Amino acid sequence: MPLDPSQIRDKLGIGDDKVYAAIGEFSDPHDLVHAGRKIREMGYTKLDAMTPFPVHGIDDAIGIPYSKLGWIVIPIGLCGTATALLLIWYCGAISDKFVIGGKPFFDFTFSIPITFELTVLFSAFASVIGMFALNGLPRLYHPSMNYQAAHRASDDRFLLVIEADDPKFHPQTAVEHLKSVGASTVEVVEG
Amino acid sequence: MEASRWATGRNVLMFAALASILLCVVGYINTPERFFQSYLVAFAFVAATGLGAFFFVMVQFLTGSAWSVTVRRIMENIMFTLPFGALLFIPIAFGLKHIYPWMDPAVIAENPAIKAKTGFLSHDAFILRAYIYFAVWSLWIFSIYRQSTKQDTEKSKQQMYVASRWSAPGLFLAVVVGTLAAYDWLMSLEPTWYSTIFGLYILSGGALTFFSIVTLVALGFRRAGVLKHAITKEHYHDLGKWLFAMTAFYTYIAFSQYLLIWYANIPEETQWYRHRVVGSWFPIAIAMPFIRFIIPFFTLLCRPAKRSLNVIGLIAVWSIVVEIVDLYWIVMPVYYKNGPQLHWLDFATLAATVSICGLIFWSRFKKHKMVPVGDLRFEQSLYFENA
Repeated sequence: MPLDPSQIRDKLGIGDDKVYAAIGEFSDPHDLVHAGRKIREMGYTKLDAMTPFPVHGIDDAIGIPYSKLGWIVIPIGLCGTATALLLIWYCGAISDKFVIGGKPFFDFTFSIPITFELTVLFSAFASVIGMFALNGLPRLYHPSMNYQAAHRASDDRFLLVIEADDPKFHPQTAVEHLKSVGASTVEVVEG
Repeated sequence: MEASRWATGRNVLMFAALASILLCVVGYINTPERFFQSYLVAFAFVAATGLGAFFFVMVQFLTGSAWSVTVRRIMENIMFTLPFGALLFIPIAFGLKHIYPWMDPAVIAENPAIKAKTGFLSHDAFILRAYIYFAVWSLWIFSIYRQSTKQDTEKSKQQMYVASRWSAPGLFLAVVVGTLAAYDWLMSLEPTWYSTIFGLYILSGGALTFFSIVTLVALGFRRAGVLKHAITKEHYHDLGKWLFAMTAFYTYIAFSQYLLIWYANIPEETQWYRHRVVGSWFPIAIAMPFIRFIIPFFTLLCRPAKRSLNVIGLIAVWSIVVEIVDLYWIVMPVYYKNGPQLHWLDFATLAATVSICGLIFWSRFKKHKMVPVGDLRFEQSLYFENA
């Protein structure tokens, strides 16, 4: 059944009456970090930044916690360790018992290279897939794209975002606060 | 660093050096054989550390790394102790017949495999090679050190380029000559045994102790309030990464050697491990994977651990201790077949070589700046942050 445009917008979460955020524009990464820290001190918690390159210290300034990816990778990596050891043990010492070169049916010494490889393989898959799962990429649409100069965040502008989900968010005060910390242009973005 | 503080450090090291040298002399008079055996472990420890420093100082120049600039002078000063290993080598040169089985004519006569090697493993060739090694290392180390200290005042990129030009062939030489030195000084203890990777086994252990010592010196300075703002938490985080990396690298090399020998199961190769698992050497052998890999690896695995000064300080001390145990386990089973027999000379000789190298290391801080302020990346290093 075909959807009408308003249903599509709803499904994508881009109803035009929803405010996404207030976005302030900076032309210097250091200003961005300082502004981010000040905004956070004002009590905002849902902040984001869009920059053409990684800006050191911005995570700390706007309170973005360190990635949880490691906690996904380690259990899956250990599953790789267990898979390799169990497979080698089962094949060599239970299922098909052959004496090869006078070696034991199972031994950690000859199992370690395969165990190492499978641990690395599982960890690598967990890192890549986990990374995409956590950052939500790839995606075709993000409300921040509605900002009039969004493309400049991949060129020479640094954007500080106060999201509308923030309990302290109010469109007017957020704009004032962003201006007060030195944003050159501020816009309330819907989407 | 204030002159008085520096002088205190020098006096402590000077006292330790004199006291331990005196003890070594007493030990030498009483039990010359035991003195030389213990001294080999002590000498190998400082030489391997110096080689690790030599290699990784050149790595800093070649990669143009900015993070390491503020700790680089500490690294260079450790590297600077390696040429003076030529002096520390003198007791070994005089004690060859107490240390190496291939010096014994009776051993050569009954073993044709050793007899075939006498061209290489002979008194004169051994001493000559040792001094060639030290000559090569000294040439490179003094050249690179000179450029680095010259840059303190000249502040131009010219010195950086010259140091890099020395470093590229230097990396190759450090490994090749270092491998030969490890073959000579440690592998020839069992003259019928050979392992191609043995040089890297010693070098990777030395690199780990090198990064441990850099970490501990920096932490010591921090406690004394020196370089407190130059060496930040970010630098310690990177040193922690290096401790972690070298732990994994050492394990990789040590396990590769063990796996191939275990798999091939040829008596002339397995003899080395055989000698090191009999009697009370066995607990040390079986503890190796745990103390050298599992404990430090999993301690340093997560990021907060690498950023904790207490944790990396602890692991640095741990790595140094297990490196000494490792070298002891490599050397001593040749003389004591049934298990380790600790002797006070083991500690005295180690104190002597370490405090002599420590004095050389310490003297450089008076002579030159404590950080390479002329490096073009100095500013960047002060303010860098780990992503």
